Amino acid sequence: MINKIFVTLVSFLFFFNLLNISYAVEPNEIMKNKDHEIRARNISKNVRCMICQNQSIDESNAPLAKDLRVLIRNEIKKGKSDDEIYFFLTERYGDFILLKPPLKLNTLALWFLPFVFLVVGVLILFFYNKKYRKV
Amino acid sequence: MVKQILIIPSIFFLIIVSIFFYLLIIDRNPSEIPSNLINKTIPFFETESLFKNKKFISSEEFGNEIVLVNFFATWCKPCRDEHGYIKKFQSKEKLRIIGINYKDDPEKANAWLKDLGNPYSDVPLDKNGRIAIDWGVYGIPETFVISSDGIIKYRHVGPITKKIYKKINLLIATLKLKK
Repeated sequence: MINKIFVTLVSFLFFFNLLNISYAVEPNEIMKNKDHEIRARNISKNVRCMICQNQSIDESNAPLAKDLRVLIRNEIKKGKSDDEIYFFLTERYGDFILLKPPLKLNTLALWFLPFVFLVVGVLILFFYNKKYRKV
Repeated sequence: MVKQILIIPSIFFLIIVSIFFYLLIIDRNPSEIPSNLINKTIPFFETESLFKNKKFISSEEFGNEIVLVNFFATWCKPCRDEHGYIKKFQSKEKLRIIGINYKDDPEKANAWLKDLGNPYSDVPLDKNGRIAIDWGVYGIPETFVISSDGIIKYRHVGPITKKIYKKINLLIATLKLKK
């Protein structure tokens, strides 16, 4: 009995969770070529919706997000590579359109400062403890 | 000695607080994104024109004088709000203004301009929003200042206000001085 309840509960949660995955791709946008569609979805997940700003265009219902999803699919159909598509987008909207900031000279601090802080923190702890033991 | 070390975190904390406070009080809009097209030549486009029976070809229209490019639509309320300033740019500052009609119905655009007045020297139609993507537009109205050599000098997202009107005029005055 408990087993059965457990299975229904898990399957219910699983089902609910499946429905809960948020994406905004509309049926008529989906490409016939499965590999192409996977590539398009993958790119869309890394591209910021400029209107909502904390969502990817894959999740956003904004009209511009839809336009960009369609545009990405058209570019894939034309035979463009992923890098070419990212370049196309950043050329127009800047690096901000990428959800993950690229590693560049002006983003070095953004990428490596956390590690610097970590090392500094460990060093402070180390010397603090050393002194404390002496006292 | 230990007590002295404890002062360091509080100084650090004060610095962080003052940085946050500074960012809070200065006049800035964190959701406004600088254009990636500043100091670049305008993107090429070719489309139908609202008034004229010939095609609008961007390479023929820019590069002689300072031009204002304004993305607008009749369904956009802030566009209506800023229209007075767009008209002022034309009547008072004698600027050439090109209004790109974004995802709109040409008939409605015609009626809208008849009703509110037409400051635009030409209205190219961007029916599916593809031109706007090439300009990096993400929220209309957007206004661009194009120098006399066809280079984008400034982009403003959102309606023109009194402050922005002054800012653009100042920029245009300096652009004219440089020439």
